[in-house]
Amino acid sequence: MTTMTSNPAAAPLTVAVPPRRRKLPGWASGMIWVALAVAVLTTASYLTGVPQLTSSGTTQTAVVLALPILLAGLGGLWSERAGVVNIGLEGMMIFGTWGAAYGGYYWGPWAGLACAAAFGALGGLVHAIATVTFGVNHIVSGVAMNLLGAGIAKYLSTLIFEPLSHNPRSSPTVPKFDTYSASGLSDWLQQLEQQQRVGISDVAGLLRGIVTGVSPMTMVTIALVPITFLVLWRTRFGLRLRSCGENPVAAESLGVNVYLHKYVAVIASGALAGMAGAALVLNPGQSGYLEGQTNGRGYIGLAAMIFGNWRPGGLLGGAALFGYSDGLQLSSGGKTVLALIYGAVLLLAVLVIVQLVRRKWLAASVGFVAAGGLYAVYWSVDSLPTEFTPYLPHFVTLIVLTVASQRLRPPAADGFIYRRGQGD
Amino acid sequence: MRRRMRGVAVVAVALTSALSLAACAKDSGNSSNNNNASGNPSSGCKLADKPAAAPAGSTSADAGGKVDGSALKIGLAYDIGGRGDGSFNDAAAAGLDKAISDMGVKKDNTKELTASANESPADKETRLRQLATGGYNPVITVGFAYADALKKVAAEFPGTKFAIVDATVDGAANVTPLTFTEEQGSFLVGVAAAYKSKGCHIGFVGGVDVPLIQKFQAGFAQGAKAAAPDIKIESKYISPAGDFSGFQDPNKGNVVTKGELDAGADVVYQAAGKSGEGVFAAAKAANKLAIGVDSDQYNQPTVAANKDVIITSMVKRVDVAVYDFIRAFAKNDLTTVPKVFDLKADGVGYATSGGKIDDIKDVLEAYKAQIVAGKITVSATPTK
Repeated sequence: MTTMTSNPAAAPLTVAVPPRRRKLPGWASGMIWVALAVAVLTTASYLTGVPQLTSSGTTQTAVVLALPILLAGLGGLWSERAGVVNIGLEGMMIFGTWGAAYGGYYWGPWAGLACAAAFGALGGLVHAIATVTFGVNHIVSGVAMNLLGAGIAKYLSTLIFEPLSHNPRSSPTVPKFDTYSASGLSDWLQQLEQQQRVGISDVAGLLRGIVTGVSPMTMVTIALVPITFLVLWRTRFGLRLRSCGENPVAAESLGVNVYLHKYVAVIASGALAGMAGAALVLNPGQSGYLEGQTNGRGYIGLAAMIFGNWRPGGLLGGAALFGYSDGLQLSSGGKTVLALIYGAVLLLAVLVIVQLVRRKWLAASVGFVAAGGLYAVYWSVDSLPTEFTPYLPHFVTLIVLTVASQRLRPPAADGFIYRRGQGD
Repeated sequence: MRRRMRGVAVVAVALTSALSLAACAKDSGNSSNNNNASGNPSSGCKLADKPAAAPAGSTSADAGGKVDGSALKIGLAYDIGGRGDGSFNDAAAAGLDKAISDMGVKKDNTKELTASANESPADKETRLRQLATGGYNPVITVGFAYADALKKVAAEFPGTKFAIVDATVDGAANVTPLTFTEEQGSFLVGVAAAYKSKGCHIGFVGGVDVPLIQKFQAGFAQGAKAAAPDIKIESKYISPAGDFSGFQDPNKGNVVTKGELDAGADVVYQAAGKSGEGVFAAAKAANKLAIGVDSDQYNQPTVAANKDVIITSMVKRVDVAVYDFIRAFAKNDLTTVPKVFDLKADGVGYATSGGKIDDIKDVLEAYKAQIVAGKITVSATPTK
C-alpha cells in the first residue's frame, strides 16, 4: 500500500470490492443436481407409467457403461490440468484393452488391470515425449497416438492372440472380476422397488443398482474421483501441476519443474485411459479384447470432461448422464426413451423457472422453446423410432450442455507449447 | 488439518465404513437374479394344437463322386467379424475347410480377407479387386454388404467367377447368388422357443436393423405365434441400419439381452454375429435360455463357456452352400447349385446338439413338413 507521502493522484486505482455472495461449496451444488435429477426421473416414471426409468437393472447397466467414459475423462483431466491436450485417449484406451486381455488371460483380472494401466502409461509416455520434450503440437501428437494405438494393438493381437483364440481380431476368453453386492441392503431395496410405490420405489431402484453386482473395478473407479480431487486440489504437488497448466512461465519462475510435472500428468493420463480399456474388458458381461472395442469412447470421455468444466465432480456427472441414457436406450425400447423425453421436458421446465427468477430472459425463452419442441415430439409419437434411439445419449448431453449455460473455463495454458526458459 | 476438513473427513470415513459393513457379500451368480416382478407361475404357454405328424421322408442326398480341386485358387471375402465369429462367417469358413479336406484344395491356394466395421464401400471394392487380380478364381463373398461392390468388380473381371452369400447381383452372368430362406428356419426355432418358454415371453436380439436380419425376426415371431398365439415377444436391434458395429459388439449384445430378460423374456434368439457371445453370457448370468444362429453354436469353441444355455440353433448351411459352389465350379457346371437354399433343400434347419429339444422334435418336424409342403408360408418381413 502507498504511504501518504506520495501523490495520492498517482496512487493505484482501487475499485471497491463487491460484497461476496456466499457460494455453495461444489459438493453441495452437486447434491442439489442429483436430488433434482432423481425427482425429475421419479415424476416422469410415475406420470408416464414406465418403471424402467428408475429400475435397478437400468442403473446397473448405466454404471457399467459409464465406467470407461469416466476413466477416460479422468485421464483427460489430469493431462489438461497440466496444460497438455490429450486427444490420444482413444489410442491409449486401445492399448489398455490389449494389456488387460493379455494380463488377464495369463495372470488374472487384477494383473490385467495393472497391465492395462502400464500399457496405457507407455502410450502416455510417448505422447509426453512428443509434446513436452520435442514441442510437437498437442493435437497432432494425439491423433498420431490414436493411429498408433489401433495399429500396434492389431499387430500384437495377430502375433499373440491368434495362436490362442484362432481369431486375429479377438483374444481368448479372459477371466473377469467377481461381482459383489451388499446383500442385506440389496434385498430390502428390491422389496421396496417391487412394491412400486411412488418415489420410494424409484429411489430404491436407483440405489439398488449402485449396490448390486458391483465389481472391484467399479469401486476403484469411483474412488479415483475423490482421490483425483484431493491430489490435484489439496496437495502441494497438485497445486504445482495445476499451475503448469495455468501459467507455466510463472510456475518455472517459482522453481517448479514444469517438464517433470507435465510428464507425470500425461503418464497418469495414459494410465487412466488404459484402465478405461480394462473396464471394457474385465467387467463381468464383457468379452475379452475385440478389435474396434473402444468405438469412440475416448472422445466421449473428453466431452464429459469439458461438460464437467475440468473438475472431477462435474466429470462424474457427465459420465453418469451419458452412461444412464446409453444404458436406458440399449436395455429398453422406444417407449422408455419417450418417457425420458418427458422427463427432459420436466427438467427444462424447472430450469426455465430458475432462469426466470434470475431474470435471464433469453436463456429462459430458449429453454421454453426447447421444452415445447420436446413435448411436441413426446405427444405426437407412440414410441420413438428405432433410428433415433441409439443417439439418445448424444442428444441428452447436447441438451443439458446448452441449457445449463455454465461458463466453461479451461486451464489458461491448455494446449500451449511450453519450452523451458521461455519466459526470460 | 482445518476443522471443517476434519469434519468432512470424519463423515466420509464413517459413511464408507458403514457401507462396507453393510454385508458386502460376493455374488455367487445364482442368488437374486431370478425373481421376476410379474410372478408368473412357470407353467408355460397355452400352446396351439400341433399339426399332423411329418411323413417319414428322406432328404435328398448328393450322389456325386470325388471331385479334384487341387488346382483351384479360391478367394474368400468375409463379412464383419471374420473367421472366429462363432456364427455366420465361421459357417463359410467351415465350407472352405471341408473343400480343403475333401476336394484336395491346397490351403496355400486360398486367401481369406475380412471386412472391418464401418469401412467405406471403396475398401470393399479394393478387397475384391485384390482377390481377383491375385488370380483367385472363384472368389466367394460372404454377406449382403458386398453386393454393390461386387456389381462393379464383377463387370471388371468377366473371366472370374464370383459367388455372393445372402444377396443377388442382377445382370452379372459371372455372379452366383447363394441365398437362404432364413425366415423358414427361424419359424422352426420360434416354435421351439414357444414350447420351451416357461413364462410365455421370449425375446429376439438382432445385430443391425437391415432387411436380412428382419427376415430372422419375422420368421421367429410367426413361428412363436403359430405355436402359442398369446406369446409376448420382445425384439431389439443392437445398432440401426447403416451402423454395422452391431455385428461385432458383444458388450452391447449383453446389455440388450439383459434388458429383455429383465422385462420378463426367458428364451432369447440372437441374430447378431459376434455380438451373440454377449447374448449368451447374459442368458447364462440370468439362468435363462438362448437360441443360436447360423452355425451350430452348441459346438462352437468361442461360446463354449456358455453352451449349456443354448437349447438349439437356427442352422444356416452357409458351409454347404460354399462347399457346393466350389464343387460345382470344380466340375465346371454351376447350374447344379440350387437357386435358393430353402428348407426343402436343407439349406436351413435347426440343430439338436445338447439334446435340449429332443422332447419336441416331433412337433418341429411336423411344422417343417407343413412348410415344405407349402401349407404354411412364412413371410420375410416382420409385421410392425
